[in-house]
Amino acid sequence: MSTAPRARPAFGRSLLRLFTVQGSWNYERMQGVGMGVAEEPLLRDLRVAGNGAAYRAAVVRGAHFFNAHPYLCGLAVGAAARAEHDGVPPEQVERLRTALCGPLGSLGDRLVWAGWLPLTSGLALIGVALGLGLKAILGFLVLFNAGHVALRWWALRAGWAHGVRVAVALRQPLLQRATAVSGRAMAFVVGVALPLVARYLGGGFLGWSRVALAAVAAGGFALLWSFRARLTGVRLGLALLALATFAGWLWL
Amino acid sequence: MSLKILLGLLAWGTLVGLDLVSVPQMMIARPLVAGPIAGAMLGDVWTGLTLGVLFELFQYEVMPVGAVRYPEYGPATVAAVSAAHAAAGTLGLGLGALVGLITGMAGGVSLHVVRRLNTRAVRRATAPLEAGDARVLVRLHAAAILRDAARAAVVTALGLGLALLARTYLAGTISVRGVILLDVAAVGSALAVGTVGTLRLVGRGPDLRWFAAGVVSGVAVAWLR
Repeated sequence: MSTAPRARPAFGRSLLRLFTVQGSWNYERMQGVGMGVAEEPLLRDLRVAGNGAAYRAAVVRGAHFFNAHPYLCGLAVGAAARAEHDGVPPEQVERLRTALCGPLGSLGDRLVWAGWLPLTSGLALIGVALGLGLKAILGFLVLFNAGHVALRWWALRAGWAHGVRVAVALRQPLLQRATAVSGRAMAFVVGVALPLVARYLGGGFLGWSRVALAAVAAGGFALLWSFRARLTGVRLGLALLALATFAGWLWL
Repeated sequence: MSLKILLGLLAWGTLVGLDLVSVPQMMIARPLVAGPIAGAMLGDVWTGLTLGVLFELFQYEVMPVGAVRYPEYGPATVAAVSAAHAAAGTLGLGLGALVGLITGMAGGVSLHVVRRLNTRAVRRATAPLEAGDARVLVRLHAAAILRDAARAAVVTALGLGLALLARTYLAGTISVRGVILLDVAAVGSALAVGTVGTLRLVGRGPDLRWFAAGVVSGVAVAWLR
């Protein structure tokens, strides 16, 4: 049965709930519960239309297993909610959700975790290293979140607009170009940031300590690169700090 | 440090811990943000910025994908700034890094514990969830967020406790050379982790050329300044 969606569905409430989508992350349904919570306001029309059974069934489906990039979950929430309103068979709604996990995860990881986030953080590191101080931090928060909120809003709207044909939204040239450009820009900006940060953090070291710093950084890099499957940064850091504490006690 | 400031740091660390995964992921959990704000609360923005930059480099190693486990550097940076604040200038950098890395590891473990608790709660609520009870769904979600807030508060409290212990018992026992060695270890490992983490993000494809061009430009700017 098809229930015509109202002109202005509860996008605002759904978007607000999407900001908490990972709040109940667990090993069984991963983001599923959060997805169900975010989708529920968009399903209320089904209940209002006197179709309580359809509403409850849609809520059940909405809370099933899901895992993707949190900023793009709205695409699946919007698409699934629209499909429920359009009377798409339940198995097809389940298949749609399952099919979206991989692409949304992969796209979000490349676009945000390996692109936009390190890019804006790299710009902030450059700002701090060049003496901008708290202005650089504020700039990072504003710039990053402008992209973050816009992406979440676009994802929810695009999911609702396309429904089961949501793949059309993922093939948008702008999205593809943004992914490629943000990767290159991130590589360049963080490349610029690293020498400046090395100068910022290493500026206070003089004489033998500067030589020791260069040796520790180079040795640490070699160790992490060679044993990347077993050695993590936190372990390397703690091991070096323990060694330094011990050496410091001996070398009075 | 007054009780008011300590409670302020605890509240800030809790918000930072909550931001990492649960709400709202606006990146106040990044060390670069968590550190300077903690520093400002202590009236020492410089230490906050320096430790924020240091732990931001450690953060570059973390790719929060799926069920992967990783250290939590937000509350860790707050604790690190608290530990480093008492020591003047760069002297507190190594001490802060030591406290921060231990807190970061504890934070990572606590995330796993909360996820397991959430799994149990979801299993217990399977019947009403499969009946389409929206109220149970929302309550389950809200309880999990509260659980994460409690986790973040505990991790921050642990970090602040460690900071107090480090300031009281460790700071006075290390020689000046020892302090410099600690600083060298902290900064050296951060630079190594940041570089390796970035290279993993960049990969061996065409972006590597952009990274190399960036490094050359960064070296030139650093040299000219």
